[in-house]
Amino acid sequence: MEKSLLTLEKGTNCSSWNYCNQRLATGSTQGSLTIFDSPDPDSSSFTCTSKFRAHEASIVKVVWVPPEYGDAVACICGDGTVSIWEEVVQDGQSLKWNLCNRFESNSSQVLDLQFGLSSTSLKMVTACSNGHVRVYELLDLLDLKKWQLQAEFQNVTDSVPISGKPSCLSASISWNPQRGESQPSSFVLGFNSDMPQFNSSKVWEFDEAHQRWLPVAELALPGDTGDQVYSVAWAQNIGRPYEVVAVGSSKGIAIWHLGLNPDTDGRLSVEKVALLSGHEGEVWEMEWDMGGMTLATAGSDGVVRLWQSNLNGVWHEQATLETASA
Amino acid sequence: MPGRLSDSGMFIIPTPPDSVRTSDSGNSLIPYSPEVRDPVIYNLHHGLKPPISRLSISWSRGNCLRVSFFRVDSTETDTSYVEGEVGGKVVEVKLNVEDGEIGDAERRRIAYGSVAPYAHLQGQKNTVSALSKMSMSSSSYYVEWWQHVIEYSKEINSLLGNPEPPPSSLIEDPKTVLKVVEEPTCLKAAWELMEIFYADKRPQAWLPERLVDWLRDFDSLLTDTEATVHSKLVNLQKEIVNLQVVEDDFNYWEGISSALAVGWLDIVVKLLRLHGSYQLDQLGDRETENGLVEAVAVLVTKMPRLRSESSDRRLGECFETRPEFMKAWEKWRGQVAKLESSAYWVQCDHRQTRESLRKVLQIMLGNVNSLITSACHWMELFIAKFLYVRPFTTGLEGMYSLAKKCMELKPASSTQRLMGLILGILEENTEVVLAECSKSFGPWMVAHVMELLTAGNNQAEMLLHEERHNLGGISIEELHRLVYAQVLSSHALTWQIAPVYLISCPKQGLGMLEILLYKQPMQHNHTLLKNLEICRLYELSGISSNLMKIAGVYHWKHGRKGSGVFWLQQAQDEARLNRIAQELFDFVGKSISDDSFKQWEGLIELLGNETRTAGGLEFLHKYRDFKKSLQQVKGGNVTDVAQQAVESLIMIMKNPSTPQRFWLPLMHDSLKLLTWPERPLLNVSQTNLLLNKLQELSIAKLCPDYCETDLPSQALSSVRLALATNLGRAILEE
Repeated sequence: MEKSLLTLEKGTNCSSWNYCNQRLATGSTQGSLTIFDSPDPDSSSFTCTSKFRAHEASIVKVVWVPPEYGDAVACICGDGTVSIWEEVVQDGQSLKWNLCNRFESNSSQVLDLQFGLSSTSLKMVTACSNGHVRVYELLDLLDLKKWQLQAEFQNVTDSVPISGKPSCLSASISWNPQRGESQPSSFVLGFNSDMPQFNSSKVWEFDEAHQRWLPVAELALPGDTGDQVYSVAWAQNIGRPYEVVAVGSSKGIAIWHLGLNPDTDGRLSVEKVALLSGHEGEVWEMEWDMGGMTLATAGSDGVVRLWQSNLNGVWHEQATLETASA
Repeated sequence: MPGRLSDSGMFIIPTPPDSVRTSDSGNSLIPYSPEVRDPVIYNLHHGLKPPISRLSISWSRGNCLRVSFFRVDSTETDTSYVEGEVGGKVVEVKLNVEDGEIGDAERRRIAYGSVAPYAHLQGQKNTVSALSKMSMSSSSYYVEWWQHVIEYSKEINSLLGNPEPPPSSLIEDPKTVLKVVEEPTCLKAAWELMEIFYADKRPQAWLPERLVDWLRDFDSLLTDTEATVHSKLVNLQKEIVNLQVVEDDFNYWEGISSALAVGWLDIVVKLLRLHGSYQLDQLGDRETENGLVEAVAVLVTKMPRLRSESSDRRLGECFETRPEFMKAWEKWRGQVAKLESSAYWVQCDHRQTRESLRKVLQIMLGNVNSLITSACHWMELFIAKFLYVRPFTTGLEGMYSLAKKCMELKPASSTQRLMGLILGILEENTEVVLAECSKSFGPWMVAHVMELLTAGNNQAEMLLHEERHNLGGISIEELHRLVYAQVLSSHALTWQIAPVYLISCPKQGLGMLEILLYKQPMQHNHTLLKNLEICRLYELSGISSNLMKIAGVYHWKHGRKGSGVFWLQQAQDEARLNRIAQELFDFVGKSISDDSFKQWEGLIELLGNETRTAGGLEFLHKYRDFKKSLQQVKGGNVTDVAQQAVESLIMIMKNPSTPQRFWLPLMHDSLKLLTWPERPLLNVSQTNLLLNKLQELSIAKLCPDYCETDLPSQALSSVRLALATNLGRAILEE
């Protein structure tokens, strides 16, 4: 059963719901950011509460900051810059969206960005058009202005840096959604680029002892490491003895099982349990449901598909949401 | 599924899928795998003009998926931008929506109503398993357990409506043979079937009679398109009111035969007594005929039934044990046969009465052809065979093949969802039963019926409780509870009851509960309090402190500093509280003037309640006290009060947690005390202490990280002068 929630203005380019699905942030080709809110938690009627110009260029992606750090969004702009905006009320003034920080780089553009919670602070990973990964850390728990670049590395498994500069069209990052304090931060990242070493999805884990990021797994079979990756999604783990990660590449959607305990080399065991085909063209977005059991995917074919595993572990398409125009 | 209108008036037409898409792995060896079904197709109508350039997805509550559609064309330039034109749509799709038999509100009523019986049964299960570990033998466990289950089943059943007609009374219209009752639901019919076969552990011999009762309640549900005994009788009821001479009517006799075939004896007797020969003016002429009608009616009333007497007030003579019943049955059959071969039939002048009554007797004698003619649906024939051909002697083992035979004789043109379930049950195939429950009746049914399936059935229990690697280490039972909890999470009015089900999931319930709680809007106090209550109930202190942290940060950043600090304190978030204390120092240090005192006084009061949170906060608390006494000093020139203020000043200055940048403002604020006209308030050592601090400040000023205060430039020298004067006076005094 479908229900219409909102009508968006012309020029709207991207949207993102906050943690409790009560707020929607949308970005437009004109660079404006619009916030829609629902007045009470049980309602599903939304009205525009703020609209402002966040960028000169078009906004291509909006990402909410985790709620432990306030009501804020990061916008990725078509020119590759990133800005962080926060909703605050200051000294008796009315509610306002303030610019906290702007990240610009002459050498590369940001293609994707995701926030991850570590036990002590907030981390932000950006994937850049030159195949680099940058990890920033928030220095002040209550101030989204103060960020520090913690690490920068290439999305390759070799310890020696690769010479040559890839040209990346898109990238996708997904943090391990686990909130456990004891667990090290980790995320998976894949590129759609012209250099095969950069493409395959790698799982990066933060080594607290040495304060560095290490690749602990590569989610590609030996013959497929160069496949362009369009989208990655790490499933919630509510108690499984393994992690589940979906990788959408030019070959289809692969479902990977990832071991929880590293071997002596610090690597995690990986197993590809399914390759799902159905979308024609690219897989744009993938998201796991709250239990990490159903994967929703949207592709350039304009179809939303839902995937599930049956009792025998056989993955299959459970539902198809086709769209029809007026 | 036919096309239907959605809430928003948009039309959704599920269409047949074009192909099956499955994964490339999984040549499964497990034989009971439910086959991979074709994907369900939803057609979403967003009402936008093509082209759609992009779509975005996001899971909302539970299994609601939100899809955004964007119309942006990459070739578009800014000049084509028209204010107000529609550029996109966001729709919410509720997945796994069950059929429309039961409305949303009713479904929620059932959901809420089933919480208590479910939780109660889980509680009993825990007690029983604790006891059985200690001493109890498994047999006594078994006996006791099914009684708990049947109690649970009855409670759930009562939530699903009550199609039982009220007991017949004497004053009712004799022509009302079939009372109009509330339309029963398939859900209730399915639940009762499960109860009959899985939960009810009364003698197995009574099972067929329970099916007879079941059919009586739910016969109207067997098919939507074809005739049933029920629909026949409904039509007859309409007709009969206008009939003068019923016995001439074909349908009248048909109704009697059909009702008799499925064992609805009271209806048969009622119909028979409408026979014209009972009318007073006819009695004289139709004595034999009336005698025959009455003889049949009496035989019907006396039909032996193998059932518990207490269970029912319906006609027939009840026998609880098989030997007793068989004896009575033989005798009764003898009486029927005797009447059949009686000489009175030739004396009956009314041809239709004569022929029809003998047909009725054929049914009672178990003539298969008569039964086939009288029953409409295969299920009716199935019941008729129980009643007259193999009177209650078949066990469950013979039922499945009998049902198959009946289906061959009375093939149904359309498949009804109850039929799949019945066949699964008769086949004794737990997987099929579960799959049918899930497919036809949804997650609520599966989550709750699991208790019936596992009640004393070892094979089913093993199947449903076995932990499976494919499912991430959980059992089928747990999986279905999680699925149901997710459905409950989809709605603002039902998410609160999901924890009851999640808590009964030993492996993954808490994990999902945590995610469910994190997805609630914490900025609303009532939601937060509800969440905290759930955390308290299930001892999830880690989660509750995270939730309070989120609320605290929200309030702090939205101008409600007091609430912010309160929740952060509740969350014992020392890192953020220390950070807030730092911010307050800045604030306090900047605006030392007295008019701003009120602004932060309340906040410090709040912070000061828990001195252990941070050293910095302790200072703020003392500072507050000092400022208060300083204000009192300002009000009048009372030396005692001023002396007190000096004591607090010295205490603060001595305290190592007092930040250096406060030293000068503190002393500058105290100028009045340092130059007290009556007498020096500071003694020599106190004055020296302050002078030393002043000295330290002068040295610190040279350091690069020295923090400049916004005091007037001569502040330092005026303090030094005041201190020097005080020192002089104090030395003289001593």
